[in-house]
Amino acid sequence: MPSVLVTGANRGLGLEFVRQYSAEGWRVFAACRSPRRADDLNDLAAASRGRTSVHAVDVSDRRAVRSLADELNEPIDILINNAGLMEAWSEGFGQIDYAKWEAILRTNLFGPAWVTHAFAPHVARSERKVVAMMTSGLGSLTENADGNRNAAGKLYMYRSSKAALNMLVTKLAADLRGRGITVVAIGPGHVQTDMGGPTAKLKPPESIGGLREVLASRTIEHTGRYFFYTGAPQPW
Amino acid sequence: MPTILITGASRGIGLESARQHATDGWKVIGCCRNPASATELKKIPGVSVHALDVTRFDAVDALARDLDQPVDVLLNNAGQSPRPRLGFGNMDYAQWSGLFTVNTLAPFKMAEAFHDHVRRSERRIIANVSSIMGSIGDTSGGHVAYRSTKAALNMVTKTLAGDLAADGVTVLSIHPGWVRTDMGGPTAAISPEQSAAGMKKLVEGATPAISGRFYDWTGSEIPW
Repeated sequence: MPSVLVTGANRGLGLEFVRQYSAEGWRVFAACRSPRRADDLNDLAAASRGRTSVHAVDVSDRRAVRSLADELNEPIDILINNAGLMEAWSEGFGQIDYAKWEAILRTNLFGPAWVTHAFAPHVARSERKVVAMMTSGLGSLTENADGNRNAAGKLYMYRSSKAALNMLVTKLAADLRGRGITVVAIGPGHVQTDMGGPTAKLKPPESIGGLREVLASRTIEHTGRYFFYTGAPQPW
Repeated sequence: MPTILITGASRGIGLESARQHATDGWKVIGCCRNPASATELKKIPGVSVHALDVTRFDAVDALARDLDQPVDVLLNNAGQSPRPRLGFGNMDYAQWSGLFTVNTLAPFKMAEAFHDHVRRSERRIIANVSSIMGSIGDTSGGHVAYRSTKAALNMVTKTLAGDLAADGVTVLSIHPGWVRTDMGGPTAAISPEQSAAGMKKLVEGATPAISGRFYDWTGSEIPW
């Protein structure tokens, strides 16, 4: 069975990835900051007959990422950089906490860079060799448009971190192509999670079901691009 | 006469922009880290020189309080590019973080601090000096630290454009070209004079209809 590593696996989209890959019998490495408080995730792991394991890692802690990579000496077919932070909508222009902006860049951008750097050898010796970065429509420069009034403005920290993450995708795609690794950005849509809020259109099973299909069919010809959960290519 | 505030005004494109606007009769507020060594800038008649390290946000606030006047154009020009280039395999994360402070957070901080000055001016323009290297769809590798800060700066431009549209403020990202400066090197394609003149023309013609867009120094739009 193939293997997958998911960061931010304790809730929301990360937890749903673990649930679905687990149900299909994959080897799942589920990483989150505080496994002791990750009740839902621990339940999934307990029911997996050892196929799903839970690992403590804060992706904003470079040393913790490195030691997890040293500990997991196995191939990883799909690496899903899902862990991410967002500020409140109220923290807009004139209300910016710059230390928080730096913290969000650390988790949303440096985290995926550290994780991908540390796990590139694991991915390179797998069958599928796919790295996915969870981005967002809010991080799309094209979609953050005047025509889209609800989407325009605010969320400077989150949006800028995701635009920068998208840049990381296209640069890593070029840098890792020689090792046969496919790097893509994936967009989950607006999903009912702690981050997406209760009024979102989509539920996690639908979004993640779509993203798993997308990831199952990505090859090196797709590297450096951005795909929605429906499979549609998305603009930067 | 209109007023322009320029960060990083002691050399390169910032210095040349100060010179061209001053020649045209603009009131120029030239900001740089060390006015003591900014001999070229201080020589230009009509330029008031202010000490400002844009990464010191308390100093940005203090300057905004001191300069109680309209600012028609805020030109966020101060920026850095790391040497050697930082990418996969040789990344220095402390340096990457520092680059975000200079290239992304500082221009936003300037916009926050000088928002009122810009809003009560005639022209109401915030121009962020970005780079074509910040164009995400480019498929070449390397240099991700610098490139990601400019992609993030473009997002700041786009988001500010949405937030400040109600105040009639126009926000642009501009790629100055590959310019013969300390950053661009001696073999670059164009002179600081050409770059500054192109950017000046673009800024002078800017209207709210083009707010939130990304242009090069010739006025051609650049894809995100």
